[in-house]
Amino acid sequence: METRVQYQEELEQLEASALGGLDLVSAALGRTLEAVEHQDVELAQIVVADDDRIDGRYLEVHQALITLLATQSPVATDLRLISALLHVLKNVERMGDQCVNICKLIPLSGNEPPSDEEMVRLILAMGAQTKTLISQAKRAFADRDVELARDLVRQDDVVDDLNRDCFRLALEIGDDADRREWAMTMLLAARAIERIGDNAVDIGEQVSFVVTGLFQEFEDASHPSA
Amino acid sequence: MEVGALQPRGPLPPVSGRRRRADRFARSLLWLATGVAIVPLVLVIYYILSKGLGALSVEFFTTDPTGDFFGAQGGVKSAILGTIEIVGAAALVAVPLGVGVALYLTEYGGDGRLARAVRFFVDVMTGVPSIVFGLFIYLTLVLAGVGGSSFAGWKGSAALALLMLPVVTRSAEVVLQLVPGSLREAALALGAPRWKVIVRVILPSAASGIVTGSLLAIARAAGETAPLLFTATIVKATTFNLNEPMNSLPAQIFQDLKQPNDELVQRAWGGAITLVAMILIVTLIAKLIQRRSRVQGAP
Amino acid sequence: MDPDRIDAPEQAEREAGDRPAPSRSPAAPRAAAAPGRQPPTTKRQVELRGLSAYYGDHLAVKNIGLYFSAADVTAIIGPSGCGKSTMVRCVNRMHEETPGARAEGEVLLDGVDLYGPDVDVVAVRRAVGMVFQKPNPFPTMSIFDNVASGLRFTGAERGETDDRVRKALVEAGLWEEVKDRLGKPGLGLSGGQQQRLCIARALAVDPEVLLMDEPCSALDPVATLRIEELIGELKERVTIVIVTHNMQQAARVADTTAFMLSGELVEVAPTDKVFTNPDDERTEQYVTGKFG
Repeated sequence: METRVQYQEELEQLEASALGGLDLVSAALGRTLEAVEHQDVELAQIVVADDDRIDGRYLEVHQALITLLATQSPVATDLRLISALLHVLKNVERMGDQCVNICKLIPLSGNEPPSDEEMVRLILAMGAQTKTLISQAKRAFADRDVELARDLVRQDDVVDDLNRDCFRLALEIGDDADRREWAMTMLLAARAIERIGDNAVDIGEQVSFVVTGLFQEFEDASHPSA
Repeated sequence: MEVGALQPRGPLPPVSGRRRRADRFARSLLWLATGVAIVPLVLVIYYILSKGLGALSVEFFTTDPTGDFFGAQGGVKSAILGTIEIVGAAALVAVPLGVGVALYLTEYGGDGRLARAVRFFVDVMTGVPSIVFGLFIYLTLVLAGVGGSSFAGWKGSAALALLMLPVVTRSAEVVLQLVPGSLREAALALGAPRWKVIVRVILPSAASGIVTGSLLAIARAAGETAPLLFTATIVKATTFNLNEPMNSLPAQIFQDLKQPNDELVQRAWGGAITLVAMILIVTLIAKLIQRRSRVQGAP
Repeated sequence: MDPDRIDAPEQAEREAGDRPAPSRSPAAPRAAAAPGRQPPTTKRQVELRGLSAYYGDHLAVKNIGLYFSAADVTAIIGPSGCGKSTMVRCVNRMHEETPGARAEGEVLLDGVDLYGPDVDVVAVRRAVGMVFQKPNPFPTMSIFDNVASGLRFTGAERGETDDRVRKALVEAGLWEEVKDRLGKPGLGLSGGQQQRLCIARALAVDPEVLLMDEPCSALDPVATLRIEELIGELKERVTIVIVTHNMQQAARVADTTAFMLSGELVEVAPTDKVFTNPDDERTEQYVTGKFG
């Protein structure tokens, strides 16, 4: 007779729930990008309200994981998985908050149509790439694919490059007094998207921890590849 | 127990009449069987008391039988002392030997061929009639005149020892087997040599059981007549020399009962009471020891 | 929202908790490097070399090579019937007390083979003590006599006995509870106290190694924890080997854990490694409860 079947099933369910949070984030990000593109204040408000769902998911799964720790004495892979899921939940929640931050910026940029198409294009490109990052992170975790997780760094570099472009563009626009404020808010939005990307890379690092038992920072700006 | 029909309570059906009748029938049978078993015992006690109480007196206990047919017949002092001496000597031999054999069987023999053979023979010996032991000693020791005499107290002890040996061995083996293996292991693991484990741990744990078993063996041997007739025979005088013929209660009773003299016959019954009483005392002591050890022992 | 650093805007901000700590390997082992597999050089260390144990023709322990480091606690875990008790009983040569049982190979204590041709079994057992699963104080002896029994078996001098008994009871954490009733029977104590009495009894003869065969399985949780505490204190003085069914106990108490399966040694490693990231898949399956 197989042992600990219920416990195994519960752990699988909680993993699915935590990763499902990434789907929620992806959807929120999509709507956020749409709101930015069309300066849609109402859509932005909906995203802000919906973040409660992501927070709710976080609390629910977090509590269940703590209970599992207390009652089932998990060890080895199970323990590493639970630790990783706790980190992943935190990442998911942060990603949701970043979307909220972006949405809160939109009314600030005024109800007029955006002032620079290039800036908007850059931001939308960042967003799209970040969505790719999120789904890749989810796949890497679900499949325990360390190579795929490492690849997230490369994907994230694209986002970082686009962020730098935004910065340069904002500097140029900065001379124009009318568009300066708008450019600043757009820069903040770009930065928020860049943070979402970093959270996705963190999830990739958790994949490596679950599989190998070692914690390694993937290559990024502070640990450049040789 | 309840009488009359039970009102059914929920899921429990009442006791059927048929079961109650069967219960009563079985109980009555058991009472009957108990009665049948006890009645002869009661009768025996009543009989010997009624027949022999008259013989008991101070003289009875303090004088030797004179062997005279008429006149003062004397008491049974030599018989009482003789029984104590002969049985005591037998115990001195049988108990250590019996415990020794039991120790061999539990500690060293285990399940080996020799051990199994020994156990088998010990079992056989418990069934051998006492007269056979008496005859054996008679042929080997008495007729051969070993020790410079024909009949002698010690030869009676030898016969009784043979009788006691299997009883002591069996009861000691049972008690020794009851000593938990964990005690042996604990002592061995402390670095005790085998013999110390036996002497310091196993024997003390089994002590009360062994003592009880030995006392019961003694009680049994004290009552045996046939072996003594062939070995220690019957004499009148008290003697403390085991190398001489020695009197004993069973032998004395045996002889007195044959006499046509009523007083002698009564003396026989008095002897019977004395013997029963002595055995009873020994048995009681054994029970007391058993009770005390159980109270002190493991919770 | 934190402001970007002006000098490196592309660098991710390190918010607390947002960026995990830099790489590190799992916690450094509490014992010497690769414990269980490499010989430490201090006294009180035991080495098993090619140890095999038989019950008649049945091979119960298969060619084990293992170290028990000095001043360390090593736990042996594994499913029922895997041979862990048998292996441990070979260390103090109790295995051969079972009829038909024998052992092959070497057990080295400080470099001396305990199975050597001239070795006195009794001397082996004085150097390697044992505590059993069910507490077994001698029923006919008082508390004092129980603790002193080991000394008396080994013929210690009369004068020292009092001191050594007291010392052993103090080390076993039992002195305060029994100092006023040393003459009372050993069986009058509670289960946990009886087991500590047995530990004191084993310690009184000053062994180098203490073998414990599931010492807490017959005890309630509080008594268990007290004995685990005791083990932590004792390990400075004796090398301790503990066989246990209870993995949480092994995790709490041991520096090194060895996993056995069907008579073989599958894995031996620092305890935290065995329970966070074991090498062998079978170890992983066992500690997570997939079988056993």
